[in-house]
Amino acid sequence: MGVRVFLVCAAVAVMAVASAGARPVATPGVSSDEIHIGSSVPLSGEAAIAGNVARGIDAYFKYVNDKGGVLGRKLKYTYLDDGYDPGRAVNNTIRLIQQEQVFAVFSSLGTNNNLAVRKLLNDAKVPQLYVSSGATTFGRDYKKYPWTIGYIPPYSEEGEIYGRYVVKNIKTAKVAVLYQNDDYGRDLVAGLKRGLGAKAKSIVASVGYDPTSSDVQPQVTQLKASKANVLMVFAFGKFSLQAFNAVSRLGWKPQIFVNDVSSASSLMAIVPQKAANGSISIVFGKDPASPQWAKDKGIKLFQSILRKYGNGTNSRDLKDGYFTAGMATAYTLVNTLKKAGKNPTRQSVMNAATHLTERGNPFVLPGIVIRTTPASRYPITQVRLQRWSKGAWRTFGKLVSAKPG
Amino acid sequence: MRARLWPELSAFAAVAVVVALLPRFVSDFRARELAIVGMYFIALLGLSILTGFNGQISLGHGAFMAIGGYTTAILSVDGFFGHQLRDLWTIPIAGLVAGIAGLVVGIPALRLSGLYLALITFGIAVSFPQLPKEFDHFFGGTTGKILDLAKPPFGLGTTTNNWIYYLTWGIALVLLVAAWLLVRGKTGRAFKAIRDSEVAAVSAGISLPRYKTLAFGISAFYAGVAGSLYAIANAYVNPDVFPIILSVYLVVGLAVGGLDSLFGMIAGAALIYFLQNHADTVARWINHLPALSLDPKQPGIPSVVFGIVLIVVMVLLPTGAGGLVRKLFGLLTSRLYTRS
Repeated sequence: MGVRVFLVCAAVAVMAVASAGARPVATPGVSSDEIHIGSSVPLSGEAAIAGNVARGIDAYFKYVNDKGGVLGRKLKYTYLDDGYDPGRAVNNTIRLIQQEQVFAVFSSLGTNNNLAVRKLLNDAKVPQLYVSSGATTFGRDYKKYPWTIGYIPPYSEEGEIYGRYVVKNIKTAKVAVLYQNDDYGRDLVAGLKRGLGAKAKSIVASVGYDPTSSDVQPQVTQLKASKANVLMVFAFGKFSLQAFNAVSRLGWKPQIFVNDVSSASSLMAIVPQKAANGSISIVFGKDPASPQWAKDKGIKLFQSILRKYGNGTNSRDLKDGYFTAGMATAYTLVNTLKKAGKNPTRQSVMNAATHLTERGNPFVLPGIVIRTTPASRYPITQVRLQRWSKGAWRTFGKLVSAKPG
Repeated sequence: MRARLWPELSAFAAVAVVVALLPRFVSDFRARELAIVGMYFIALLGLSILTGFNGQISLGHGAFMAIGGYTTAILSVDGFFGHQLRDLWTIPIAGLVAGIAGLVVGIPALRLSGLYLALITFGIAVSFPQLPKEFDHFFGGTTGKILDLAKPPFGLGTTTNNWIYYLTWGIALVLLVAAWLLVRGKTGRAFKAIRDSEVAAVSAGISLPRYKTLAFGISAFYAGVAGSLYAIANAYVNPDVFPIILSVYLVVGLAVGGLDSLFGMIAGAALIYFLQNHADTVARWINHLPALSLDPKQPGIPSVVFGIVLIVVMVLLPTGAGGLVRKLFGLLTSRLYTRS
């Protein structure tokens, strides 16, 4: 009896405390001295290397905090591991908005991972800012998902740039395409066809692979049999490595185009250089591994920040483009938050994110202007082409547009 | 007989009271986490019936969870002949579909046992995730199916997470009682007889095909219900939501819980949830030990922690949580007997 009375009393007490504590908060995740931002990224599993994006963001936020924060508020950053598994990304995102009470979800990584949480974030009216995926839907479908905005150039436009380049520069092109069979790979293929235009028939073979398969060597062998002289590698992470290895092993010598998200120097440096040399890709961020930027102010800033604030980073990380990519997004987020005003709300930050004109981001190529409007939600729409030679990427040509429509 | 009943009845009453009161003491998000523990608990109950009581090994229960999850997702997103079902009503259907799949798998299981059965079921775990990719129009491919977030029905003024919590644990308690009645009754005795010696069981007139497939079917039904709840809680399914490793985790939970201890499965379920989602917290605890420093955010650290904790738990508790409780009860009762 005594226990039951005690339990009832305890329950009543807890409920009383809870209801007293539940004063209406103006904006979750914003206090008088702090703004709380969250991400879900792969820190384990096959795509763990890309999780360095979040570690780059973390270092940059600490640097900003040391300089006084954003309009007097410090940035608090919570990033959780999803192992590149959309199911865990859902769990993490719910944890971020319900448990951690973040102000906004920012730069979560992966096409499927972001698709999986888009509906619930929009239902909860939580900003899904600067998604780390170039799937066109994140910029295009803003009418249905007003709380979502992308960041990197849309994959479809990237494909189109490669298509246009082939038409202009390679006569009698016969194109083979290796693509990941999801929205990411299919967007690239659709863009490529648009870019080839009347010459779309020059695609002689096109083979998809499943993102959870083990090896793409069979697909590459199949593509080689088509006698193509151009190969599009629209493959992520290890699949891109395997593709280069297979090309080299088969003694095939096509002109290779490799899509931006798997063109990191750290990856390119470890594939057979026989196959890698002369490969073409697009680029929008400064590559810390390229001698081209060795004396660049932005890269120097990047390295000094990472040395000071990059918890547990080593000298190899100083040349890892994923860290730079993270800092580039973080730089844009800080500007967005400043623009959202002294007392940012979720609405005001979405407003700011869709009215950007950011010049001089130190971590992206000179001349790139990050620009958005409510009806054009693709922050980065300018890129340059780059070619791999002597163990490094070198840009060539002028800035080209990757703006949809 | 009555003497052996009271510990289990009082344990059940204790669990029920804790389950009913817990959400008042924890945050809304914790309620959600506890609900997911409840889902693993349901799946582990099924696995315990199959492995702990019937002696058949399954490394493929993640696939039955996937069948349940996909059944719920498809029925509530695409509907049945254009008529979308409320998530709540898809749960029993998901259980039945998975249960039928379990019966079908149970048939080859008749001819195989031990390692070979483990391999067959593992084959199912490996191949099932390929189905949604192959038939992506029906299953949604790797992009998956996005459900509406669950809302409390009948105008109940509670949060989504509390609703999912009570729904899950309500079902879990019912299924716990059902499992308990099953293993205590005639069927359960037949299961255990087969586990202990197939030859002896057959000579006692027990039909092997009947009971072995039945165990598979019941076990898969439990997994299907768990998968269905999992889909509702996450409002999302794709092949990666039910990865191959999930089947392995379930076996881990079974071992930690203690094969044939129904209550022990709660511990197993809690451990697999905790290690999957809070390995970074454990890494932070480990940092308090002298001469150790782990960066919980460093790639790979959560997996390493998962492995270490698992090894430590299995070394300390070779018979699982159930074995530990039984040992404690053994001490208690033997002392009672000696006193009287």
